[in-house]
Amino acid sequence: MIINMLKTSHQLVHISHQEKQKAMVSEMVGKITNVCWDKCITSTPGSKFSSSESTCLTNCAQRYVDMSVLIMKRFQSMQ
Amino acid sequence: MDSFSPSSTSSNGLSGQSTEALMDQVKSQLAQAYAEEFLETVRSKCFAKCITKPGTSLSGSESSCISRCVDRYVEATGIISRTLFSSPR
Repeated sequence: MIINMLKTSHQLVHISHQEKQKAMVSEMVGKITNVCWDKCITSTPGSKFSSSESTCLTNCAQRYVDMSVLIMKRFQSMQ
Repeated sequence: MDSFSPSSTSSNGLSGQSTEALMDQVKSQLAQAYAEEFLETVRSKCFAKCITKPGTSLSGSESSCISRCVDRYVEATGIISRTLFSSPR
């Protein structure tokens, strides 16, 4: 991940909290779009999304976040 | 590729440039890195969707598929960005 490059670079000027947040947001949107495209856009891309495709994308993004929360909770309960 | 090209280097490796100039450089390199990553993703997705049997040149339907694919992928990015970051649940 790009943000890991920032974390491991010792010579870098201090990156503001705000910049880190922006980078994390970009990273997350990129990752989720990547997986949700594969799940939701199953046919040849058209000139616009069908309503089922755009609904799928919205649901997919929210479920991915829900899943991430659940995974963290589960993992933490194992520690 | 030299990232910072310092004109003078102090003992901690940072250049004589102002902190602000360095920050701008970092922000611009971050933006560039994300743009390159985004383009690579789009290439990969659209090749998978649109070029099913590579021929000796890009057909008209392959070209229009690719154009639509780029538009849709950008649109999908917007949908997901708004879903997660502008309507708190």
